[in-house]
Amino acid sequence: MILQSIKMAFKSIAGNKMRSFLTVLGVVIGVVAIVMLIAIAQGANSAVASSIEGLGTNLLTVSVRTQRYNPVSMEGLSKLEQQPSIARVAPLVTTTGTAKAGVTTYTDGSIQGTVPGYDEIRNLEVETGRFLTQPDIDNRSMVAVLGSEAAQELFGTTRAVGESFSVSGYTFSVVGVLASQGSSMMGSGDNQIIIPFTLAERIFFQKGITSFYISAGSADDVTVAEYATTDYLDGLFHDDSDAYTVFNQSSMLETLNEATAVLTTMLGGIAGISLLVGGIGIMNIMLVSVSERTREIGIRKAVGAARGNILTQFLIEALAVSLLGGLLGLVISGVGLAVLGPLLDITLSVSPSVALAAIGFSVFIGVVFGLYPANKASKLHPIDALRYEG
Amino acid sequence: MIRMSNIVKKYVMGDEEIYALDHVSFRVKPGEFVAITGPSGSGKSTLMNIIGCLDIAQEGEYFLNGQPVESYDQRQLARIRNQNIGFIFQGYNLLPKLNALENVELPLVYQNIRAGERRRRAMEALEQVGLKGRIRHRPQEMSGGQQQRCAIARALAQHPSLILADEPTGNLDQKTGQEILTLFSHLHAQGNTVILITHDTSVAARAQRQIHIEDGKIDEKEGNG
Repeated sequence: MILQSIKMAFKSIAGNKMRSFLTVLGVVIGVVAIVMLIAIAQGANSAVASSIEGLGTNLLTVSVRTQRYNPVSMEGLSKLEQQPSIARVAPLVTTTGTAKAGVTTYTDGSIQGTVPGYDEIRNLEVETGRFLTQPDIDNRSMVAVLGSEAAQELFGTTRAVGESFSVSGYTFSVVGVLASQGSSMMGSGDNQIIIPFTLAERIFFQKGITSFYISAGSADDVTVAEYATTDYLDGLFHDDSDAYTVFNQSSMLETLNEATAVLTTMLGGIAGISLLVGGIGIMNIMLVSVSERTREIGIRKAVGAARGNILTQFLIEALAVSLLGGLLGLVISGVGLAVLGPLLDITLSVSPSVALAAIGFSVFIGVVFGLYPANKASKLHPIDALRYEG
Repeated sequence: MIRMSNIVKKYVMGDEEIYALDHVSFRVKPGEFVAITGPSGSGKSTLMNIIGCLDIAQEGEYFLNGQPVESYDQRQLARIRNQNIGFIFQGYNLLPKLNALENVELPLVYQNIRAGERRRRAMEALEQVGLKGRIRHRPQEMSGGQQQRCAIARALAQHPSLILADEPTGNLDQKTGQEILTLFSHLHAQGNTVILITHDTSVAARAQRQIHIEDGKIDEKEGNG
């Protein structure tokens, strides 16, 4: 019986090709809108998330409010580094200055004083030469590691190891050049001029450690590392928690994910409205179909179709249209995303849960908007239906 | 087979009550070939609707095969139409999108008969009416006479206890009409119960017995045969 109803539904859909096409199109547009908008929102989210993760997954950033007396010391940081949850700790002092190499000047550089290990914490990759070493720190060596952009601007090449440049009258020799990182949330990383921390302290008159980076042993250790750091700083600042800020990478990711979830729901909701309009299209066509086929309904009832038979038949027709629209919409979305992904430079894909939800929603639409016309058809009185001259 | 007593069907028009059927009583025995005659507006269509369980009476009793139809709900009536009554209409009432075979199979679909058995019974019925060579034709590809034969085959395939024909020759020319009536005579000869509703006395003459209806009333003696 159900099989017969399905056969009849497809016969009737095929019998009215243009009309069926337009009705299906309404559902297709709705499903495509939902699936593609959600995929784009999710794709953009994972792109931003991965650029945050690119900063260093297990990263904690600490900044200390400058006071008359700054108790944070290199020795203290070395002790903090002994914590089992913490892999590396590196202080950072940042300033700006004009670098000169011969006649070339470079004003966009970010001069950063730090220690060995900073490269690990920030996932910096040395392309040529080496990073800072402990003797550089101990001896306040006049050496620098350049970001790829800084090297390119100063020397016209990234193969700049052995070259020298000057900042504020001090001459540095280049010992390493970093691989390009591209730009990230925290600005371009390629304009760095990295020099030994001890040297930076002296020549730029920076006193004390006002910011430092910590990398946790693993992603699971981040929270423990954060507690260890907070404990350490609370001890130094006598529980004055306003004196410092510990910035957790994973909590930032969480915030981002929450924000995207809201955005995705909103976009999905707006797209859902277009699917609703598609559903109204189904209802409209089904109502037309019922009045056009009044005589057919009368004949079917005369030869013994019960209300349930007629109801099932029209409901299956509505369902077939909406399901067809749903499936077609998914296929079109898949193709559209495959084309759009490379254009937007985002990885776009239809997640199974979104696909299921889109199909489920179109089935739901088919039932809801098919039910009223189907019920109307099933309630027709056989005599009136037979007399009807369409 | 059919036993009706004091069936009433009335319509309200303005302040007036119009009796389409005014206390109609009659019987039909199994295997009979009965013609119900009367001018248009006499109530014969209303009577046919009630006999065919398309409608129910407001008063009176109607037993079909011993079943009290007047107390049945829409679903039970649909089942009775499906299993007991083979309709043949003046306008054939075939589904235009289905071919002859599918049209004949239609009532069997609602009887939940399997595809194989359905096909066999439909073929048998089409053969009986001489349409074996036309099973793939759609109604608009057939002549009026062929369409009516197809409609008769649809009724026969149901294996109904009653064949109910409403002006079956009304849309046909003289010759084709005679052929159809001959087919009815054959069906009767094979043991089917046939009720034929017509305003044409020459058509009614083919039946064993005539019941005349006028102004919603039946002559009592005629009614009980």
